[in-house]
Amino acid sequence: MMRIIVVGGAGLAEQVATALELAGHEVSVIDTDPGRESALAKAGLRAVRGDPTVPATLESAGAHRTEVLIAGSRSDETNLVVSLLAKKHFGIPRVISRVNDSANEDLFDDTWGVDALVSPSTAVVSLVSLPA
Amino acid sequence: MQVVIMGCGRTGLALATRFDAEGDQVTVIELDDEVQARLPSGFRGRFIPGNGITPRVLEQAAIADAEAFVALTPNDSANIVAARTARDRYRVPRVIARLHDPVHGPVYSEFGIATVGSVQTTVNRIVQMLHHLTLEPHQTFGNGETLLVRSRVPDYLAGREIAELYVPGEIGVVEVSTAGHSRIPEPSTQLRQGDVVSFIVAAGSLGRLRSFLDGTWS
Repeated sequence: MMRIIVVGGAGLAEQVATALELAGHEVSVIDTDPGRESALAKAGLRAVRGDPTVPATLESAGAHRTEVLIAGSRSDETNLVVSLLAKKHFGIPRVISRVNDSANEDLFDDTWGVDALVSPSTAVVSLVSLPA
Repeated sequence: MQVVIMGCGRTGLALATRFDAEGDQVTVIELDDEVQARLPSGFRGRFIPGNGITPRVLEQAAIADAEAFVALTPNDSANIVAARTARDRYRVPRVIARLHDPVHGPVYSEFGIATVGSVQTTVNRIVQMLHHLTLEPHQTFGNGETLLVRSRVPDYLAGREIAELYVPGEIGVVEVSTAGHSRIPEPSTQLRQGDVVSFIVAAGSLGRLRSFLDGTWS
């Protein structure tokens, strides 16, 4: 069991959070789509309201004792700022970040506190270019 | 000077126009390419449509040759990401970002980015104008959080020591002029009638300094 914070809204972030919760992890979601706390609660997820680029919000989601943070919002700048705060301010061991615009992909490295990135469009392209 | 401005709203437009008029080489980066039409006729700078956090867009704006980068979009996170990228990746020597929501201020300073806070600057200035008309600052620092203020000392303070004016973290005395002759005082320096004192003061303590000088606090 790991303590995990997922930042993001409906779609990818929520689905990742739900799957991790089902796998037995303790998951907190900082929801970037307002007004969906009840939907998240129904899925058994702990939802935290607030701006994820503000340290106090991350702290109330338990950032000081979290092993993994997933920056999964639909905004690359939000994900970068959240990743750097997670690593520099809270020392979270593993920071995974979502890339929305593949043109920004090479920003997502250790200078922004990112240990691993997920780039949906790059992933799909790499599958297409695989030899048959 | 070669300057790259990210975000061409009211402030970005005014700044780009001003730099251009002063003969600087201006490049504007703006998400909305219709904004280009708002630039004044005769504007000699360049307009790059796109998101200023994206390396390719910054490179189109010749960021590596820029002497200054100013991030002025309404999105604080985009401003800090672009500013930090300009500084660390492209070695731009002077980088300034606008701060819209004061709640993001500590993050900017944690990341070492100099900011201009629209809200904080306006609030500090208004409070100053409303409450402290008699204390006109000679110089302000940061977003107006700290000020240098000169004032003639009131007669009732003659004979008191500089140390008595000192309030840690709020009010300090950096200079004293006696009959036009200026010096840096020691804590034990005695004030004389007619001395003019330069105070360094926190914006939130201007009221305290004023009541001090008015003789309503001692």
